[in-house]
Amino acid sequence: MTVSSRISGDGKELVIAIDDRFDFSLHQLFRDAYSTMTTQDLSYVLDLSKTEYMDSSALGMILLLKDHVQLYAGQLTISKPSDTVRKILEIAQFQRLMTIE
Amino acid sequence: MPRNQKIALVVDDSKMQCKLLSVLLKEENYQVIIANDGASGVQMYIEHQPDLVLMDINMPIMDGFEATRRIKKLSGEGTLAPLIFITSMDSEQAFIDSVEAGGDSILVRPFTPKVFKAKIKAMQRISDLVDQVKHLQLEQQKDAELAEKMMSGVIEARNFALDKIGVIKKAATIFSGDIQLSALCPNGDIHVLLGDFTGHGLRASIGAIPVTDTFRAMTKKGFSILDIVAQLNRQMFTLLPGDLFFAACFACISEHEKSAYIFNAGLPDGYLFDVKATIKQQFISTHPPLGILPQLLADAQVEVVQVKPDDRLVFITDGIVEARNPAGELFDFSRFEQAAIAGIIQKDLVNNVLRSLDDFCENCEQEDDISLVDVPCSGWQQIKLGNKVTIPEGFTDEDNYFALAENSLPTWSYHLHLTGGLLKKVNPIPLVMNQINDLEGAGEHWQSLYTILTELFINALDHGVLELNSSLKNSAEGFSQYFKERANRLELLADEEKNGSEDFVGIALKYFPLAHGGKMVINIKDSGQGFDILDIFKDNSIAMNDGLKLSGRGVELVNQLCDTLDYQEQGTLVTASYIWHD
Repeated sequence: MTVSSRISGDGKELVIAIDDRFDFSLHQLFRDAYSTMTTQDLSYVLDLSKTEYMDSSALGMILLLKDHVQLYAGQLTISKPSDTVRKILEIAQFQRLMTIE
Repeated sequence: MPRNQKIALVVDDSKMQCKLLSVLLKEENYQVIIANDGASGVQMYIEHQPDLVLMDINMPIMDGFEATRRIKKLSGEGTLAPLIFITSMDSEQAFIDSVEAGGDSILVRPFTPKVFKAKIKAMQRISDLVDQVKHLQLEQQKDAELAEKMMSGVIEARNFALDKIGVIKKAATIFSGDIQLSALCPNGDIHVLLGDFTGHGLRASIGAIPVTDTFRAMTKKGFSILDIVAQLNRQMFTLLPGDLFFAACFACISEHEKSAYIFNAGLPDGYLFDVKATIKQQFISTHPPLGILPQLLADAQVEVVQVKPDDRLVFITDGIVEARNPAGELFDFSRFEQAAIAGIIQKDLVNNVLRSLDDFCENCEQEDDISLVDVPCSGWQQIKLGNKVTIPEGFTDEDNYFALAENSLPTWSYHLHLTGGLLKKVNPIPLVMNQINDLEGAGEHWQSLYTILTELFINALDHGVLELNSSLKNSAEGFSQYFKERANRLELLADEEKNGSEDFVGIALKYFPLAHGGKMVINIKDSGQGFDILDIFKDNSIAMNDGLKLSGRGVELVNQLCDTLDYQEQGTLVTASYIWHD
């Protein structure tokens, strides 16, 4: 499974992790990982520590996630991107739009 | 239709059955060919490419199931020659097996001629549908190719000075999601854009036409890069769905100012190379791609750099640095830079980068659109100087020719008074030029007027209101410091407004039609402290002898374009008159 998601014990955090390549082929899986979440004030963590490559359609998918998070007044954090992925996020200046740690 | 009469192949070891089916098929206007076992059935299929196959199950040498499997393998997906099993085995298993083997239908004996004919009609209908789909696919492909040709006609063919800009454009599909634009500003500056829509193919290229229109129209009207970027961002935000956006690099190259203005929103670093192929500067992305945020970020700013005539700007899209070789490695920045540097030394950047990419990728499938623009910092159309009117022979003196009476009144006048924060937000020159175009129509002669207005307004704002010292611009460090300081002081203007300060720039125009042209009198007044006009002109005569000097060139240029140019009220009021003739 290249997209995995789990909710923390206290139910306040949803972690979505992407393995290997984050591109358009994950479109549906990625959406499914969060689209049924309608809890308010949920923390969404996108774990990119195992993502080796990301294309621009993945950036688009992150923007859709951000729209969803805002709709339910949640928080979005991108967690531990590798250097390659961080470079792509920086070129798109995503640190101006969301938290990257 | 490939041929008039359709061919039916009957495969049956019973000669009696073959004869019977032949008669029925001929009544339905088929030409009939016959095979008596599975193997020769396959052979006949290959030779005659029939439109319909009737297949018995139990036959010597090769049975109907095996023959069907082979025939279906041969016919592939493109065409459907319907294959009907004709059998007296009325069992569930026979039915399942015939569909498994690839049969399209089954007909169980005994049947009446009417049922048989109805069956083959139904099958023929299905095969006609398949043909139609195939036909439509081909049409669509043809349409897509045509549309692509027209798109690139609209987009690239109308670019300004294409011959001077080096371009790489390799689309991953028929439609490219990357676009390259260039256009000429009214004052002779050049605007260049390299952009990349998310994804590729038709979906990605749909935004290209509105981007092209806006970029060209606003450039022509004299809007600045930042104005254009802000408008494109708003437009793309409304137009594109949430997961689509437009990453782009913009440049305005001003040959007479020897400077370039750059804005990078979401593309890999842009480069400024000098003539020896040294990287003088890199332009990192400072803003998210366009179409994500409803408005540009408040601190969005263009980067200003000093350029030499033989410098060049190079922009690339991520398709270049993310191209992969068979081992899965990225081409990356270092390989690109090496190829570009070697290319500049060999005076062929574009082909050198292309060759290097091809060698690296070894025919790997291209995943994304690949593009680059290579823009020289000089050699663009020069503004025509010395635009002074020459009086044709036969007219002895000026007034006579221009027929402008003493004390004559202007046919129209126009006033614009900008205060405080508006001076930061509004670029008045396109507004003014729009008025002139609306009232007097478009014309080449307004290009010089645009330059005059721009230079005089910038002087009033920078040296009058903002009290910036133009001598700062003499050195490269001072040059960028000047623009930083300018941005700071503009920011202060917006704050002062709240505190009731009265900073302003006023622009007034008066238009006098002449018998063979027209005369525009321009007044620009600012709230600054003024300056000693003699110093400026003394400065200019030094500047004239020193080609590298950057400041003070504006006034000199305006002086050459104008009929008269006067500074009054300690330099806070300038009056210029510009005359043009048909």
